[in-house]
Amino acid sequence: MTINIFQAVLLGIMASLTSVIGALGTTYSWYTLSRPLVASLVVGIILGDVTTSIMVGAAIQVVYIALVTPGGTVSADLRAVCYIGIPLAVAAVKGAGLDPASVQGAGLAVSIGALVGTVGTVMFYSTATMNLIWQQIGWKAIDKLNYKTIYLTNFVFPLISHFVIAFLPTFFITYYGTNVVANLKEWLPMNGIPMKTMFTLGSLLPAVGIGILLKQVVQNPIDLIIFFFGFTLAAALKINLVGAAFVGAMIAFLNYKIIMIGSAGKKAAASNEEDL
Amino acid sequence: MTVKLTKKTKDSAFWWWYNGNLTGFTHQHMQTFGFMCAMIPVIKELYKDDEHRLRSLKTYTPFFNTEPQIGSIVVGISVGLEEARANGHEEIDDEMINGIRAGLMGPLAGIGDSLIPGTYIPILLSIALGLSSGGSVLGPIFYAVVYISTMTFFMKYIFDKGYELGGRAVDVIIGDQAVAFRESMVMLGTIVIGSLAASWIGVSTALKFNLGTYFNAAGESVKSVLVLNDVLNGIYPNLLSLLTVLFTWYLMTKRKMSPITVMLILVVIALVGVLVGFFDPGLSY
Repeated sequence: MTINIFQAVLLGIMASLTSVIGALGTTYSWYTLSRPLVASLVVGIILGDVTTSIMVGAAIQVVYIALVTPGGTVSADLRAVCYIGIPLAVAAVKGAGLDPASVQGAGLAVSIGALVGTVGTVMFYSTATMNLIWQQIGWKAIDKLNYKTIYLTNFVFPLISHFVIAFLPTFFITYYGTNVVANLKEWLPMNGIPMKTMFTLGSLLPAVGIGILLKQVVQNPIDLIIFFFGFTLAAALKINLVGAAFVGAMIAFLNYKIIMIGSAGKKAAASNEEDL
Repeated sequence: MTVKLTKKTKDSAFWWWYNGNLTGFTHQHMQTFGFMCAMIPVIKELYKDDEHRLRSLKTYTPFFNTEPQIGSIVVGISVGLEEARANGHEEIDDEMINGIRAGLMGPLAGIGDSLIPGTYIPILLSIALGLSSGGSVLGPIFYAVVYISTMTFFMKYIFDKGYELGGRAVDVIIGDQAVAFRESMVMLGTIVIGSLAASWIGVSTALKFNLGTYFNAAGESVKSVLVLNDVLNGIYPNLLSLLTVLFTWYLMTKRKMSPITVMLILVVIALVGVLVGFFDPGLSY
């Protein structure tokens, strides 16, 4: 599989727009177009193979299921994972002749995605640093009440940062890189140690995504029971994810009712005491 | 004479924030310029002289950063306060507005991060992943449509609440009912994530033990092989994946490691595991 100039340009544009600090706003760019699952649909349309792309994107999505960016620190700016990682992973999986739905296909995709994710971190910090130039212009505009320049500072000048720091690397890596990964099997045998490690790593990495999420919601180890409950629904009872969401919603609903009854009881007790 | 902002101006403040809350990000001033851009239409409508305009614009120059979606409530509150200030409420000065802004951004970032990217998005993505099996476009489309529509509605709702109620609007987010709702959402999220982990993580071992040969009833010699993976899955299905998740949770929570460090540890484990034969994807060309 090769990528032509036109496709590489489109991927570069998408990478420029969809950073956490990208041009299309938090809601529909960072939290939508920069989720690997959604991005895989866009990449699939650009590459002309939607099915493979979505299977690859779904596997990569699990690793980044719970990405939170507290105070502007990012472990990976997902635009690199989405618009460099997914195209390369699609090329690699197809080049190796793997079924993207298989554990091995997913493993290879996840490893490539995570590797490229580190590029995203560099992109994030570089863009934020380059934006300092535009903010200098913006500060001067405030005293002159030059509204137009303030808007340009926030919306238009940062596009220059994105062009330099996201568009160019995405364009070159996807344009030249797909050939390299598509011929992976010529220089790395699949039963050799590097490839075996790569596949294994791909099966381990999604656990980190889940771990990040658990870290936020489970402070007390006893709360792990809630997680085990969900795991058991799928692993032992074979309930699919939509079904598990409904079982979970029922439990959450009961929990909400119990808390509200509890706080109503407290309020009633407090007002009784006042009456006495 | 009281000035009242038109609906058009309030809406344009909301949409400037919605589209540009982080676009000019630097580590020095994260969302400051995004906030200012949202306030410009309000300031222009409320004040006709440059002196007041400059004073009010400068009110919004101190550092601002929070979870931007839940943070739209702060923009709503500021619009309401600015309108009150234009109507001669002298107790509303820079100090008061910035006290509210600075006081809210920390707590709202905590609530917003744990509720939106920490709970709501993983739940939606888990369902979407379930819908996209076999490469179906249903999953991505489901996520995009549901997330964008609900989040836009939510942001507009709390923006309007912020404008109407001012500082009291915070009860919408930290009142009794809101806390109970949030805790229940987190519970739902944890359950769904458990199911997601079981369906999408497939850690398995290739280790086999030869237990020697024995003769069966028909007198044929049979090799007895213990397949470790089958034994483990007999104890609890997908046990190795569960243990891997717990291991990463342990490293990050109890050992305070960063996700990157944990990933590097997994690289080492994968390599060592392959070398000793514990892991083997079993592929060849």
